Formats: sequence, C-alpha cells, structure tokens
Amino acid sequence: MGGYFSKLFNQLVFGDKEVRILILGLDGAGKTTILYRMQIGDVVSTIPTIGFNVETVTYKNIKFQVWDLGGQTNIRPYWRCYYANTDAVIYVVDSSDRDRIGTSRDELAAMLNEEELRESVLLVFANKQDMKGAMSAAEVSEALGLPRLKNRQWGIYKTSALKGEGLDEGLDWLVNAIKGT
Amino acid sequence: MMNAAIQSHLAQLQIVKAKVLAALRKGENYELKTELNSEYKERRKEAVRRVIANMTVGKDVSGLFTDVLKNMHTDDLEIKKLIYLYLINYAKTQPDLVILAINTFVKDAEDSNPLIRALAIRTMGCLHVQEVLDYLSDPLRKCLRDSSPYVRKTAVMCVAKVYDLNREVAEENGFVDAVREALGDANTMVVSNAVSALAEMNSMGGRVWQLEPQTVGRLLTAVNECVEWGQIAILEALIEYEPRDEKEAENICERLLPRLQHANGSVVLCTVRLLLRYGRYVKRADLLAQFSKKMVPPLITLLSSEPEIQFVALRNINIILQQRPRLLSKEIRVFFCKYNDPIYVKFEKVDVLVRICSERNADPLLAELKEYAKEVDVDFVECAVRAIGRLAMRFEAAAERAIAVLEELIQMKVDYSLQISVVVLCDILRRYPGKHESAVTTLCDHADHINAPSARAAYLWALGEYSEHVRNVAGLLGAGVDSLLEEEDAVVQLALVNACVKYFLKQPQAAQALVLRALQTASEKCADPDVRDRAYVYWRLLSADPNAARAVVLTEKPPVRPESNSLPEGLLEELIGELGCVSSVIQQPAKQFVYAYGEHAGVPRGGADAAISAADSEAQATSSGNIETAAIEGEPELLISF
Repeated sequence: MGGYFSKLFNQLVFGDKEVRILILGLDGAGKTTILYRMQIGDVVSTIPTIGFNVETVTYKNIKFQVWDLGGQTNIRPYWRCYYANTDAVIYVVDSSDRDRIGTSRDELAAMLNEEELRESVLLVFANKQDMKGAMSAAEVSEALGLPRLKNRQWGIYKTSALKGEGLDEGLDWLVNAIKGT
Repeated sequence: MMNAAIQSHLAQLQIVKAKVLAALRKGENYELKTELNSEYKERRKEAVRRVIANMTVGKDVSGLFTDVLKNMHTDDLEIKKLIYLYLINYAKTQPDLVILAINTFVKDAEDSNPLIRALAIRTMGCLHVQEVLDYLSDPLRKCLRDSSPYVRKTAVMCVAKVYDLNREVAEENGFVDAVREALGDANTMVVSNAVSALAEMNSMGGRVWQLEPQTVGRLLTAVNECVEWGQIAILEALIEYEPRDEKEAENICERLLPRLQHANGSVVLCTVRLLLRYGRYVKRADLLAQFSKKMVPPLITLLSSEPEIQFVALRNINIILQQRPRLLSKEIRVFFCKYNDPIYVKFEKVDVLVRICSERNADPLLAELKEYAKEVDVDFVECAVRAIGRLAMRFEAAAERAIAVLEELIQMKVDYSLQISVVVLCDILRRYPGKHESAVTTLCDHADHINAPSARAAYLWALGEYSEHVRNVAGLLGAGVDSLLEEEDAVVQLALVNACVKYFLKQPQAAQALVLRALQTASEKCADPDVRDRAYVYWRLLSADPNAARAVVLTEKPPVRPESNSLPEGLLEELIGELGCVSSVIQQPAKQFVYAYGEHAGVPRGGADAAISAADSEAQATSSGNIETAAIEGEPELLISF
C-alpha cells in the first residue's frame, strides 16, 4: 500500500518529466562504469569516453536522464554546454589517485561557480574503494573542500562501482534531496 | 538635482539593458535552444525536426550545435538520421565540438542494427574533419569485416573518404588493402562499391589499383547481379583494362552483351563504349557484325525516353556514327522529328539523319526535310535547309532533287526560309561547277525578295558566275551597283564588285560601262577599306592586262569538298572512350573541363567557352562558305575564314 502511494506521489510530482543528472569527474574516475552499473546493474567494459553517454535510468519510479561526460582535459571545457536544467551533479573521484585530487578539486570548484548549476544538488562518489590505499570519504571530502561549501546541498558516499557498493545509498540520498528541493 | 538626473539616467540604462536582453532571448534560435534542452522527450524531438527544417531552407542554425548534439544519443532512428544530417552540414564549421559526438558514433558503429552501424560509419566519413580521423580507425576496421554486407559496402566507400582526407592514415591502417580484398567479396553490392572506391582513389592521384586479369572475370560475373549504379561503376572500371589477347577481348565482349538490354541509359552507353573499345582487339568479322547488330536496338530504345535522355542519346549516337557510319543506316525513320520534340532534340535528329543517310534513301529524307523547312520555327527551318544542302553535297545523285526542293522553298516566298535556301542553293552550285545552271533563273526571278546580306552575297556570286545563263544580267547587276552604297554589309559590296568584274571578263563589250561604274563607286565612295582595296586591285589588274585578269578571276577553282561536320580523328577517338559521360554531350574531352584530369590543376583549359566559340566559328564558316571572295589566292579553305 505504501509503495503504491509513493509511486502515485512520484507520478504526481514528476509526471513524464525526466530528472536530469550529470556525472562529472576527471578521466578514469569511473563515470561510465557507474552509469551502466546504475542502468543495467552490471559492469561493462568501457573505453575512454570521447564525448558523452546518456541513458535513462529508472530508480524508485523516478526517471533519471543521466549524462556521463568525458573527463579528458580537452573535453572538460565543454562540460558547461550541458549544465542547463540540471537537477543534480554526481561528481566522481578516484579515491586512489592522490596525485590528481588537487586537479579534481579545482575542476569541482570551477563547476560549482557556474550560474546554471546554482540550484543543483551535489553528490560526490569517493569511488574505487576496492583499491588498496584508497582515501576515505572524510579524506576526500576534506581534499575537495566540501565542508566549506555554502548554499549547496551536498552528500558524499564511498563507492566501488566494480563491486556495486555504496551506489544505492548515494542514490537514495539523491532522490530524497531532489524531492526536498 | 544632480542626484535626480543620475538616477533617471541609471533608470534609462536599466530599461535599455532589459530591452537588449529581451531581444537576445527572443529569436527563434533561442527558443529552439530551450526546446532542445527540454525535460520532455516529445518536445525535444519536435525541436530537432524544426532545426533541420530551418537548416534545409538555409537559415543558420550552427549556433545550436551542442544542443542538437545532446539529442544524438537516442533510440529513435528518425531523430538520429536528422541529427546526423545536421552534423554533416555543420561539422566543418565547428571542428572542435565534433569530438562531443565521437562517443555516440563509436557506440552506434557497434549497434546491433546494421542500418545504424552503416549510418554511423557513413556519417563519420562524411564529416570530413581531421579531428574525427583518429577515432574513426577502429570502428572502420570493424565495419570493413562486418557480417552485414550493407555495413561492409558503406565502410568500403568510407575508406575513399578517409583517403581523401589523409592518405597516410588510409594506407597505414591497411584500409586500402581491405578495399582491394573486398573485390572478392561474396556480395556484389560490396564488390561494386569497392570498385568505385578504388576508382575514386585512383582519380585522386594515387595509383592504388590496377585491374588484374583474374579480377576482370570476377567483375564480369558480379556485374550481372548488381544494381544499375553498381553496374555503371564496374563497367567504368573495365574501360581502363587492356585485354591480354584476342581471345580474352572476345570473351569480355560476349559477356557484356546482356548489359545492352538494361533499362538504364547509362549502363547501355557504357556497354556500347566497352564494345567499341574491345572491338578493336577482335579480329573475327562475324563476331564484330554480331556486336554491331546487338548494339542497334538498345540505342533506338533510348530515343523513346524523356527528351533530355533522348538528347544525350543522340549526341552519343552522333559520335558513334562517326566511327561506324553504317551502324544505323536501316533505321532512318526512327530519327524523323516528331512535331512535339523540343528544338534541341530536333537539331540532333536532323544531324544524325544526314549522317546515316545513304544514296538509296536520300529521296525520302529530302521529302521529310522539305516538310521541316515549311515549319514556323526559324531556327529549325534553317537547320533543315542546311541539312538539305549537306545531303546534296554528299550525294551527287541527290543534288538535282535537292535543288528542286530548294527552288520550291524559294518560290513559296516565306522570308526566312527563302533567305537560307538561297545561301544553301549557291553552296550546292559551288560544289558542282558547271551543272544545274537553270536554278540561277529561279534566283533572279525572286531577286526582289532576297534581302539578308548572306543571301544577297550568294545571289550576286551566282549572277557573276553564271552570267551567261541569265537573260538580263546587266540590268540586275546595274540595279545592284545603283544601290551599292545603300548596302550596309561589306560582304554584299564585295560580292557585287566581284560579280561585275566576272561579268565584264566574260562579256567585255556589254559590261564595260557597268564595271567602270561599279569600280568607281566602290573605290571612291565606299566607306569600307576592304571594298575600296578590292576595287583598286581590280582596277589596276584590268588596266594592266585583261588576259592576266581573266587568268586570275576566272581561274578554275579547286572543288569544294562536302562539308563534313565531323570531329577530328584524335578527338573522336577520345570521345569514343568517354561515351555516356558529360564529355560526349558537350563533345569536349574530359581533360579540358575536369581539372582533376587536366595537365595543370586549377583552371580547366579551354572548357565550355572554347566549345561555344568553336561552334560559333563553325556556324560562321558555313554561312560565309558561299561567299566568293577574290579568287586571287588559290586556297578556298583560307578564304572561308576571311
């Protein structure tokens, strides 16, 4: 009965409308793997994304239109083309890549400064937790400067896209956060 | 006070700013941009349709590049095709942004639907952007080995595009080799596309392909199963091939014969071209006769299609006939003009008619041409009358009858046909000196109606030449001399002076006063320097030695050769090799107007202008052909161009 009502509620709130989510992050962070983990629930073999992938994912009866943009240096400038109408950003960080966490922080900061993303919710995945020597969620959060963010609803979850751990928790948080706004 | 002024200024600035922003936001493109980013699938789809509609009518929608691209990733084949169209159109203007599309292309090239795989690989090739090249190699390699022939044939063509963009990439990745291998593909569509891709690459200047004897056999098998365009590609490729021996040439010809029955005119013409080419290697007369016989019906069939096709067919038939004059001699009736044929088809038909006519069927053709000469279209009448002249010049037996027809036309006193008939009649007289003098009487009877300069010049020439057969020649010439200064055209004035001198030399007593008057008027009052000069020359010649003058003026002229209207041997040979191409229609070899084939890249040599001016000078040559200029020089060929 409860499930029925929640479905009805979602139908009323969202209708045919798709919730737009961007998955961003440096190259090799695992964005495409996360996208297909969300969509088909399995690991697919990926090649570096030159351009973008977009899939429709239904989670908890909400239709998400999930955009996975390539993270290569030469594609990053074009991320801004996709910011319009974005409800949430999933920012993926390779927790084992301590060398480039600084670059990752700069890109994130630049992105959050964009006018078009002012209303968007931020979900950070500290990915690749299955790797040895991966930073913890708190470490990543600190390195990215998340605690100092103002006027932004954000959450961080440690995940392993390969093993499928932590994704659902993160998405649950995201659904609630979007409904709340 | 001051503050209030600043305040109001600021307020005004605000209003201006708001207006500018509103104007920026209004425009259709802004609206489309919003729609393309809509949360609703249907609205996005509609927006893509509108963008493409705008693109096709020429509005600039390149600013929406990224927004359109966002919709590229879709299951909807219609939208995908539209967006691919958009990309082909605008990729060159936004080469940096094209990389945003790469991922979708790469995924589409691995789609389970072969249509999508082919579409992706074709579009990637069509983008013609260096940036794409790096990402194209892998999908292209896979598509060249695809299980679906549709994808393979598309990939084969894509290689030619890559080759055009960057030869090293195409060669180092083994793409060119893969296309060569594709010649052995089980599917004929792939084979024919491989042939045209290789031919294309050859024409880009790289010698990537030479037709091998064993491939020829395979291609000849494939050609029977291809669609028409594939057949054309294969037939075109066979042109380049040199058969090893007579046996092989015979074999190729025999296997080509069924192609003559194809409905596509280009296939037919290509096959005829091949038969003519390989026919040179065949020695057996019975085989050659058989090939010729088989060529006729398809060529005739082409004449029952649309006028444009007919025109192309006729131009080609014209060329073929110059090499094989007897090919269509039995089919003369097919080429008779229908009343509703367009004028360009009529012209060609008349030309072909004269070409295939033989002594035997000259009479029915003359009767037909006479009908044409009575029509109302001035150009067509001229063409028909000239054709009568050409017939008379070719066959002496037909001259009598041709002259009768022309006399009839003159007697009808229809202005335009009368003028041209006079000119042509005099041409025929010139061709057969000392015969048909009686025709001159008809000319004299209608002298009042002859008023076009070329016709008058011709008439005056006849008067001078046949003065002994005309009763009142002195009167007629005298009337001419009286109005000498009124004649506007120097050609007529020259003809008159010539005629008078000729008449004088034949009958010195009767014409002395006349010739004096003529020379005096011409040398003293005429404005044209040529006419004055000529008069002076005659004057001195006559006063110096009348016998020398007679030897010069009344000298026996070399016979006029029947005007051939044929192409020079070398050009004909080249055009036979390009039958069915544009070059056969404009009758100029391809290297003169397709600069890729020319000696110098850049501006084509001569080209269409040369063709037009050549045609013009030819027309002039024939119209002035009857003008008897001074017979002082012995070469009539030179005089014609005078």
